[in-house]
Amino acid sequence: MRTPRLTVAVLAIALCVVGCSRNTVHSDQSALSPGQVKVALVPGGPHPYFQPWKTALQQAKTDFKLGDVTFNETSAWNQTTQNSVLKSLAAQGFNAFGVFGVSPDTINSTFGDLRKQGFHLASLGSCPAGDTDNADFCLATDVRQAAYKAAKSAIAAMGGAGNLVHLTGNKTDSNTTRRIQGVQQAIDETGGKVKLIQTVTDIDTDLQTAQKAVADLIAAKGAQINGIVTTAYNPAVASAAAVKAAGLPVKVVAIDDDPTILGDIKDGSVTASVVQNPVGQAYIGSYALSRLAGGCAMKTSGQVIDSGSFVVTRDDVDTYDTQRQQETTQLRKDFDDKYLNCPKA
Amino acid sequence: MRRRIWADPRLGLLVVIVVLVAVFTALRPAFLDVDLTIVPIQSDLTVFVVVGLAQLAVLSLGHMNLAVGRMAAVSAFAAGWAYDKLAVPLVVGLLIGLAVGALVGAAAGWTIAATGVNSFVVTLALDFALIGLVSLLYSTFSDGVAFHVAPAGMDILRGDTFADYCAGDLCGPPIPLVVPIALVAALAVGVFFRNSRLGREILMTGSNLQAARLSGIPTSRRIIQAHTLSGLLAALAGFLLAVTNGAFSADIGGSFLLPSFLGPVLGGTLLAGGAVSVLGTVFGAALTEVIQTGLNLLQFEVEKFKIYIGIVLLVALSLDRLRQVLAERRKQEVPRVPEPVEQKEGVA
Repeated sequence: MRTPRLTVAVLAIALCVVGCSRNTVHSDQSALSPGQVKVALVPGGPHPYFQPWKTALQQAKTDFKLGDVTFNETSAWNQTTQNSVLKSLAAQGFNAFGVFGVSPDTINSTFGDLRKQGFHLASLGSCPAGDTDNADFCLATDVRQAAYKAAKSAIAAMGGAGNLVHLTGNKTDSNTTRRIQGVQQAIDETGGKVKLIQTVTDIDTDLQTAQKAVADLIAAKGAQINGIVTTAYNPAVASAAAVKAAGLPVKVVAIDDDPTILGDIKDGSVTASVVQNPVGQAYIGSYALSRLAGGCAMKTSGQVIDSGSFVVTRDDVDTYDTQRQQETTQLRKDFDDKYLNCPKA
Repeated sequence: MRRRIWADPRLGLLVVIVVLVAVFTALRPAFLDVDLTIVPIQSDLTVFVVVGLAQLAVLSLGHMNLAVGRMAAVSAFAAGWAYDKLAVPLVVGLLIGLAVGALVGAAAGWTIAATGVNSFVVTLALDFALIGLVSLLYSTFSDGVAFHVAPAGMDILRGDTFADYCAGDLCGPPIPLVVPIALVAALAVGVFFRNSRLGREILMTGSNLQAARLSGIPTSRRIIQAHTLSGLLAALAGFLLAVTNGAFSADIGGSFLLPSFLGPVLGGTLLAGGAVSVLGTVFGAALTEVIQTGLNLLQFEVEKFKIYIGIVLLVALSLDRLRQVLAERRKQEVPRVPEPVEQKEGVA
């Protein structure tokens, strides 16, 4: 009895698939007033890098009179979970999203799905891998350029010669590939005077993992290392502390502006840090999303915009934030003048 | 008959799922939003049901497959490579991926059977080896860590539901096109363990290796076959995730391990082997998906989110345990008919 029923069900589905016509759904993207715009910022997971996004988002809500904002870091560095988080937020009425995609290789599909349903998307802090971006725009650090700058600083501090180590994040992340390429470019430019003796990946999971990896590295090769360039947050904090504790003459170039790292720059145990612009990403990202929801369109859909990266040394450790704020102001101006196409009022 | 229904752990899971759906819907009506909640839940569930089945295939022996995620990753690589370099049709790439998954699973099974080393150790070692291999393969054969290729039909399979297909005014239900793939896999695994001699012999091997051997069952071969099935299903899960995500990337399978155990174990499959529950696995996976989506909608902060996931799972399982105890009590209160001796091996 069961088998004929099953056969009928399968045949019905097959007949429908063969005989039915495909329905195409078009999304409705009518212009919204700022009070109707609800912006959600969704990082890949909990990470100190994203903490400035919270205050920047609240500032954007006040300054741009947005209807509602939320910061949701429950994606747990899992793309499937992040997709689920985004859809849940959309179901609750959020209509503009700033997303740090967990997987740059697959986030484009999520962007495409959400845009088809009429939502506005910004890829913040990290652009999708490949040549296309299905989000409205990407506002992020040019990670290859930032890694290149960091490696150049380390090489300069080493006197232009010696052995360099690169500490970075998840190897299956295409951003890591770009960072490795940036460091390699700087090394290639030395014409063989600087040798990359090791690239340590997958140590940005947490501080403990990074500390263990750095301790192992220093125990094994401490005497050979002249410089360490870090292009991920946890290895930066760990290597600064380890080199300081071991008293080694190793030049460390860190990333981001954790208070520990800034303190280490001041006391000279860290040579420099490449600082990014997370505040600008969240603040200007929210601004641009509200303009898009209000009826503007990107002149070039999927445009990639560098949010800026700055090499901070002992000389400008107390003043670099002014430069960063100027960059943020300039970004807003650029959106208005260069990137957005808005209907005349 | 009534007592048997109440003693069925799957009923408890179903009741818990229904209660949770009702609670979440009452708190957030958006839980029933078709496009943004119901359809995505089904797509995610498709992947996690198949992942659960991959683990169930070896749990039937009392074994574990800790490499389930990497088997999916290496199979997805093979499929992605075939699409990218050989431009094969969607089905051919799927078959290549399934073959690679089955081969890797068979290799794990053969190692366990030949050496007698615990499956935990063998698959853990295999997982480590495959992490490196997958990374190496992508860096050698792709531009980075993924194949961004979409063979004909992949986008339709990923994005369409039956509701997108209409005959006149009559459209299909809002069920993603990938769902029938998982249903067919679940049905096939259920029929395999319930009706085929091979499946029953695998369960018997899991129930009591020595007894199975003395009964003339070629236990080594059955171990290899169960692991082959696990590899095959892991490959299918990897393919489904690649389709859902839209790329064949190195991080496929990275988050498979916990869900692979959650579905079967919540659904009543024994860790000791000898008994499996395919329908229970589907319900177990559905329960975790409902909890995850419901808590997402309630928008807890990250720390609270994890605490509540733990609490809801604990409450759900405690309710199920309460149901079991009540069912046992009712059984003891009515001892009129002698109970038949329960066979340990079986398919629920």
